[in-house]
Amino acid sequence: MTTLLEVSGVSVTFDGFRAINNLSIAIGEPELRAVIGPNGAGKTTFMDIVTGKTRPDEGRVIWGAQSVDLLKLSESDIAKIGIGRKFQKPTVFEEQSVRDNLAMALKNRRGPLSVLMWHATERDAARILELAAEIGLSDRLAHRAGDLSHGQKQWLEIGMLLAQDPRLLLVDEPAAGMTPAERAHTTDLLKRAARTRAVMVIEHDMEFIRRLECRVTVLHEGSVLAEGSLDHVTKNQQVIDVYLGR
Amino acid sequence: MEMSRRTAAPVKRRHLLQDNPSVLWFMGLLGLFTLGVTVLSEGFGIGLISTNLVKILGMTLCLCLIAIAMDVVWGYCGILSLGHFAFFGLGGYAIGMWLMYARTEIVIRESLAGSTIPPTEREVSEAVASQIFSVVGSNELPLIWSFAGSLPFQLAMVVLVPGLLALVFGWLAFRSRVTGVYLSILTQAMTLALSLYLFQNDTGLRGNNGLSGLQNIPGALHVPQSVISVWFFWASAFALGAGYLLFAWVVSGKFGSVIRAIRDNEARVRFLGYNVEGYKLFVFTLTAVISGIAGALYYPQAGIINPAEIAPIASIYLAVWVAIGGRGRLYGAVIGAALVSLLSSWLTGGGAPNIDLGFYRIIWTDWWLVMLGLGFVLVTLFFPKGIGGLFDYLVRKQ
Amino acid sequence: MPRPALIATLALCLLVLWPLAPLSAQSDTPLQDVLQTVQEQVASPSRAQVGGVLDVLQEADAPGTAEFLTRWAEREVFERPEDGLFFYARDGADRTLTLIDLDTGEDVAEVTTRDVNQIRVNAGVRREIEGALVTFELLAPDRARRMAAVRTIARSPEADHIPVLESALSEEEDGAVATRMARVLDLLNARFASDSATRVAAIDALSGDITTEARRALNQILSTGSQFAPEIPEGTNVARIRTPGADLDLVDAYARLADADLVPPRPGRNAIRDALRANVSDGAVAGIPVHRLDTEEARREAYRLLQDEGIVPPLPTQAEMDAAVAQYVFFDAYLEPDADVTTAARAALDSTRTSVGIWQFVSLSLDALSLASIFFLAAIGLAITFGVMRVINMAHGEFIMMGAYTGYVVQTMIPDYTTSLIVALPMAFLVTFAAGVALERTVIRHLYTRPLETLLATFGISIALQQLAKNIFGTQARPLTAPDWLAGSIAFNDVASISTIRVAIFVMAIAFLLALLFILNRTRLGLEVRAVTQNPGMAASMGINPDRINMLTFGLGSGIAGVAGVSIGLVAQVTSEMGANYIVQSFMTVVVGGVGSVFGTLAGATLIGALQKGIEWFNPGNTLAAQTFMVLFIILFIQFRPKGIVALKGRAAGD
Repeated sequence: MTTLLEVSGVSVTFDGFRAINNLSIAIGEPELRAVIGPNGAGKTTFMDIVTGKTRPDEGRVIWGAQSVDLLKLSESDIAKIGIGRKFQKPTVFEEQSVRDNLAMALKNRRGPLSVLMWHATERDAARILELAAEIGLSDRLAHRAGDLSHGQKQWLEIGMLLAQDPRLLLVDEPAAGMTPAERAHTTDLLKRAARTRAVMVIEHDMEFIRRLECRVTVLHEGSVLAEGSLDHVTKNQQVIDVYLGR
Repeated sequence: MEMSRRTAAPVKRRHLLQDNPSVLWFMGLLGLFTLGVTVLSEGFGIGLISTNLVKILGMTLCLCLIAIAMDVVWGYCGILSLGHFAFFGLGGYAIGMWLMYARTEIVIRESLAGSTIPPTEREVSEAVASQIFSVVGSNELPLIWSFAGSLPFQLAMVVLVPGLLALVFGWLAFRSRVTGVYLSILTQAMTLALSLYLFQNDTGLRGNNGLSGLQNIPGALHVPQSVISVWFFWASAFALGAGYLLFAWVVSGKFGSVIRAIRDNEARVRFLGYNVEGYKLFVFTLTAVISGIAGALYYPQAGIINPAEIAPIASIYLAVWVAIGGRGRLYGAVIGAALVSLLSSWLTGGGAPNIDLGFYRIIWTDWWLVMLGLGFVLVTLFFPKGIGGLFDYLVRKQ
Repeated sequence: MPRPALIATLALCLLVLWPLAPLSAQSDTPLQDVLQTVQEQVASPSRAQVGGVLDVLQEADAPGTAEFLTRWAEREVFERPEDGLFFYARDGADRTLTLIDLDTGEDVAEVTTRDVNQIRVNAGVRREIEGALVTFELLAPDRARRMAAVRTIARSPEADHIPVLESALSEEEDGAVATRMARVLDLLNARFASDSATRVAAIDALSGDITTEARRALNQILSTGSQFAPEIPEGTNVARIRTPGADLDLVDAYARLADADLVPPRPGRNAIRDALRANVSDGAVAGIPVHRLDTEEARREAYRLLQDEGIVPPLPTQAEMDAAVAQYVFFDAYLEPDADVTTAARAALDSTRTSVGIWQFVSLSLDALSLASIFFLAAIGLAITFGVMRVINMAHGEFIMMGAYTGYVVQTMIPDYTTSLIVALPMAFLVTFAAGVALERTVIRHLYTRPLETLLATFGISIALQQLAKNIFGTQARPLTAPDWLAGSIAFNDVASISTIRVAIFVMAIAFLLALLFILNRTRLGLEVRAVTQNPGMAASMGINPDRINMLTFGLGSGIAGVAGVSIGLVAQVTSEMGANYIVQSFMTVVVGGVGSVFGTLAGATLIGALQKGIEWFNPGNTLAAQTFMVLFIILFIQFRPKGIVALKGRAAGD
């Protein structure tokens, strides 16, 4: 397992409020990692920084073996380099079909001209069917994404992430609003994905995290409070105080 | 909607028209309409349609062309540009320069032909310049008219000037992530600046006099207008058909998918790895070029172009047409532009009979704009999908 | 009553009345009576005696003396031989004259030209009289008349006025009048004094004076004329030597020599063409076929051939022109021969340049400020609706128009301009407030989640309102007249002034700013507005009704537009399109300033106003160019500061 993403000494301040404070965190490839922490711990801001939405005041974000400086790239370049992100609120393109949503995410050339000339190849079509089967939406390909249930939208978004074939998946609260059966499916999806790539999951639900059976990082007030197995961190007195205690 | 008709079977390369039956319908109707107008025209047919009406219909086709361009940039890509008429006008000015220069040159050469010794090039160009620019108190040819005598050059300008302006302006605006109403206001400022610039007498485009006599085509000065009007009608119909095909192709495939996704949630598209700014710039520039071409076909039929054509209000009307027709569908833009502009020229041109209510006489010239304004508010409030939305409704009912 | 007795009585009266009469009052003695005391000298004036008459007249200072002197000099006074009385006269029918009484101006009698003697005044006497006339007024007891006399001299300065003014100055007791006289004396001396030292002294006294008259006098001294000569003549006061080819066009220089018949004229392109035309024979000119004569070179060649045949005047070559021009020196010379004077004048003019520049800047700043006030007034209502509610109201301009028309209607009902203005301001507010609330309730309320569609819907309202106004009030501009007390202007000096109405608009803008700051920061409504702006959900949960707040905010913004309309109507035309003229600029003011901030709008308006006036300064008289560049600047500005000058930070900015 090699280090894929290394965030070191990152801080960011919004109007005097320090959302991230000297945060250092690293993830290898392949790896499944859960990030937990109370509200305002900086989990979402951390993802914003990695994906280029927010620029930190200081610190470094280094990617892959070539040590690419992510802070110099735009959001779309970061996505192209292999970082996929699933938002807290499911954001799929509701006006378009499930197939179009997936097709857009497929790992193809992204320039306007090549997209204009694009035609679905056999391989692309097969990949879409494969992804649809994986996220359980095989019979929904022609439907409007807006007509899907909440859970199905979450899956579609995960499916779009997988279609991008990223090396790192950042997943923000994937299980929110899901039925227990849907949660189980989601867990399987993420665990399968983590066999070949790095997956970082932000979640509140302890049961969900327990089922992921992975290393856990606890954030608090913008920096890492503890890291280790779920059992290990839940025994940590500090973690109990700031997080579980509440 | 077109998308939903695709089956789940393995995707084969399918023809654009198979995916979009509406395109076929449109092309058919446009062809029939062109044929009908030709047969009924004075120049080529039985003369049931006056030359003036042929011109109005041809101009309407050009307005439909810029309307579909507007629909692509706004309805599909979500950029409410309030400046596309600037590109339309620039296209008109570019071709107008050639029309005016070449025609004046012919007239001047004819008048000098009788003199005992032939004129020098300089004498001709000076005579042309003083003929064209005496109205703004100048007799020198401005620098931008250096190649006005060359049709290929000015045709290139029809495409290049709107395209470059859109490219530079779009690059600046999209790069700094100006979006939404800010972008609308910025585009409005652009067209305002351009029209103010052109209103000046010393900018080389004859100030508020504009360019005139554009209906006289050099090389065809002795062809009657009844024939020329049909030529331009054909050209406009061809341009609209070609433009429609082009845009239908652009918005139907994955590209269309991406730009609609940008319209609905551009941040999300960015995280999918698409360079949103590049796409916006592409669409903005492409539609600007098409608008320029539409303008280049429109103004020879109108006969005159002046800076008032570029005033911000014109571009807002463009948005109104598209909204009334129903944005996000190309035929909607065509319906909106044709309906509103034809109604407008019928009602304000004195074609419609005034209605005497006894206590008040409704004069259409006075009340048309009030009606249009309020009608437009009603459409926005109650039929956000416009007239095109009705089609959807009917299709779904079947 | 015998004449001496009359005079005695009058003198007595004067003596008695003297202490009571104010010094400035003219005496009550009729002019006729005064003239009769020197009857003979008036009737047949001679150069030797006219001085005495003038002294008497000046002493008596009877009403109408000035007019009499003028007409006397112009030979418009008549003497009736029977009684020796003097009259003015007017031509009647059949070569008759109607005599007019000097004092009352009434017609006295109809006579023939033979019945009266026209008094003939020769040139010498006439000059004396005219001098006296000036003196007479300059020494008049009434201060206003003395000032008027000085003003007349300043308007048409002449060398003759110098001694008169000098003597008047020596007797002047009123400080202000003396200062003015001294300044005018400087102006006269600078141009007309006989000796160089006096002139230089006077010019030095004028240095730093930024009045138009002083600068005009100095510029007149410095006026130059273009000349040329084999060499610069002795005693020429040269301003500048011109080098042909560098700061003087060679062809122009040659043409000037030709004008003076020093060299043969150089045929121009048209002359060459005409010469060729005149010499076409057998389809050729000098052997060159005409069809080849369609270039400049071919024509010149043909012309040279004609020239060789001696048919046409020669076409000088470049070398010949150079040689001809080289024989002369071309220079600009001062019309004023005295170099000391011109040097002093140049120095004096230079010294005024800085202060003129400063005052011009002040003037420009005042213009900019007044423009900024108008922009601010036009935009502030929009800043509220756009900034606070994120609602694009394209009909804002039409609310401005509505306010202006309200002012117009009120003015047609209340004739007194002051009262009508006082009534119009709150009326305009009420009318547009109501219109704004109605618009918010019926349209905008339904579109809060669709900002772009608000833009379009309000545009629909805008064209409907514009056309309605056209239907009701017609297309011609309606006047909105300012009361008299706002009609004048405040002048600081000859360079900087500002019209009172613009000051009033500035004051109005300040008042609006303060009122808005008060409403937003110190009232319950303002608190609730700010709460709804920052977090509508939270505000609603605290019992604030966002519906009501939105309605009131929109009404407030619209009402302000109405009042702004009245103010703008006072300086601009009231037409149905006036709103449209302000809407784009108002949006830009708000966007440049920073959305959602009153101070931002203020900053935006100031920047745009200053910018527009600043650009106009570089390109005077071209408002369109200024506007073009301003819009371009704004487009670029937004690139670099998309959130405007005063940018809100954090969540309120609404990313």
